[in-house]
Amino acid sequence: MTGVAPAETHYQVLGLEPRATGEQIEKSYLFHLGLYGEEALATYSLLDADELREARARVQEAFETLRDPVRRYEYDVANGFVSAGALVVPFPTPAAPNPARPPAASVARPAALGVPPEAARVRHAPQVLPDPVDGAALRRFREERGVSLRDISLVTKVGVRYLEYIEADRHALLPAPVYLRGFLQEYARVVGLEPRRTAESYLAGVPRDS
Amino acid sequence: MPGPVPLPASRPRRQIWSVGGGKGGIGKSVLTASLGWQLARMGKRVILVDADLGGANLHTCLGLRNPDLTLGDFIRRRAERIEEVLSDTGMSGLRLVSGASDFLGAANIKHPQKVRVLNRIRSLDVDVVLMDLGAGTSFNIVDFFLASDLGVLTVVPEPTSIENGYRFIKSALYRRLRAAASSIEARRVLDSALDQKNAQGIRSPLDLLAVIEREAPEEVEVLRNEIGSFHPRFVVNQVRDEADVAIGHQLVAACARHLGVKATYAGYVHYDDAVWKAVRQRRLFMTSAPASRAAEEVRQLARGLLLGESLALRW
Repeated sequence: MTGVAPAETHYQVLGLEPRATGEQIEKSYLFHLGLYGEEALATYSLLDADELREARARVQEAFETLRDPVRRYEYDVANGFVSAGALVVPFPTPAAPNPARPPAASVARPAALGVPPEAARVRHAPQVLPDPVDGAALRRFREERGVSLRDISLVTKVGVRYLEYIEADRHALLPAPVYLRGFLQEYARVVGLEPRRTAESYLAGVPRDS
Repeated sequence: MPGPVPLPASRPRRQIWSVGGGKGGIGKSVLTASLGWQLARMGKRVILVDADLGGANLHTCLGLRNPDLTLGDFIRRRAERIEEVLSDTGMSGLRLVSGASDFLGAANIKHPQKVRVLNRIRSLDVDVVLMDLGAGTSFNIVDFFLASDLGVLTVVPEPTSIENGYRFIKSALYRRLRAAASSIEARRVLDSALDQKNAQGIRSPLDLLAVIEREAPEEVEVLRNEIGSFHPRFVVNQVRDEADVAIGHQLVAACARHLGVKATYAGYVHYDDAVWKAVRQRRLFMTSAPASRAAEEVRQLARGLLLGESLALRW
């Protein structure tokens, strides 16, 4: 019956704060892989083979969730790591429900490292973003939230230059959509926008041939 | 002559540190001797106590012959005052209570004798009393550990040593909980927990708290606080690479998550030929090889322990 407190969050499993950066998540993951390795000195006499496997699976699950901005955002919202009170609708809601479209994105207070707490506490009037969203709208939203590009870059490891290209709609300088999508999702999560919806909306406005 | 000046209130009070480890041959005595030497070097008044009754050799680590009077003589009242069994080490500020040189095994020391030793040690007018505990996890050894202000737990990066390290933590902690528990039910649970194959499946302090919660719920708070105030400090000795260094962090994480014990990582010392050469010559490597990596790491360790600092993972 030895083991782990049952209801641990992904953050607790990795020994992290909910504001952990992508780099911290990665490093903690590698540390815990070592901690629960097959022959790990520190755990082999505390845990049996099943418990070790279970511990590894738990670490893996936490990592897979937290390293993906979309899944992490959903997890954070579901577990109260972003305040539900701050949720607003940033994109125009279609007049009639359109089954071809994903549900309207929601937005939360930034939960990222580097965001000044005062800025995070400011009450924001619901703000409607255009859809497709362009760089200028993203930038206004971000500035309103008091998050700097440097903040985003620190947390996500996406270079400030690429974040500037996104906000300036310099599509020709941006990487291929498969990478850009990831950048946009990270950007969105940090400023408190729903990552999947935001990335899709932005990509819809990027000309195909650029 | 002016009268005695009251000491400023900020003067740190005397501290008892102990160095345990559960397993023999992991460099506890050399580590204790070199830590004591370094603390004296830093201007502290230090007394080393060789509490390894039955296997005492701290004096040899310091290059001393076995002194005439030892802790064994004090325990058997051949010496009435503990000061009588103190000897100089040749290092200013560093004195030694040598261990028993005869067959007084640790198991033979009775409780009142232990109390007398601890009380007299507490009364010594010094800055740090540093006790070298013997191998093993018997009550006599963990009692000295529990009576200390700071308990260092030495391990080397080997399975047997780490197993014994965990065993040491459990023995010490359960001993402490046993003393804190007031009801018969709680004591019964604690006694059974010491048996590795106990029927209730208690394998860790976390399990133990769960059983106490069921059997003697009124005691949970007290015992939880006892566990919360138990802070062993790991020193990983004889490391050879970065992976060995990382073991200290893993031990801290494993203690927190799987034992519910808040340990810290005080530091590590590399395996170093300079150390065994010094041991062979019955010298302390702090003096024979002060530029060695091990000597520098002991200096860092002493500084960190004095300041209450520990190594933390930087993520």
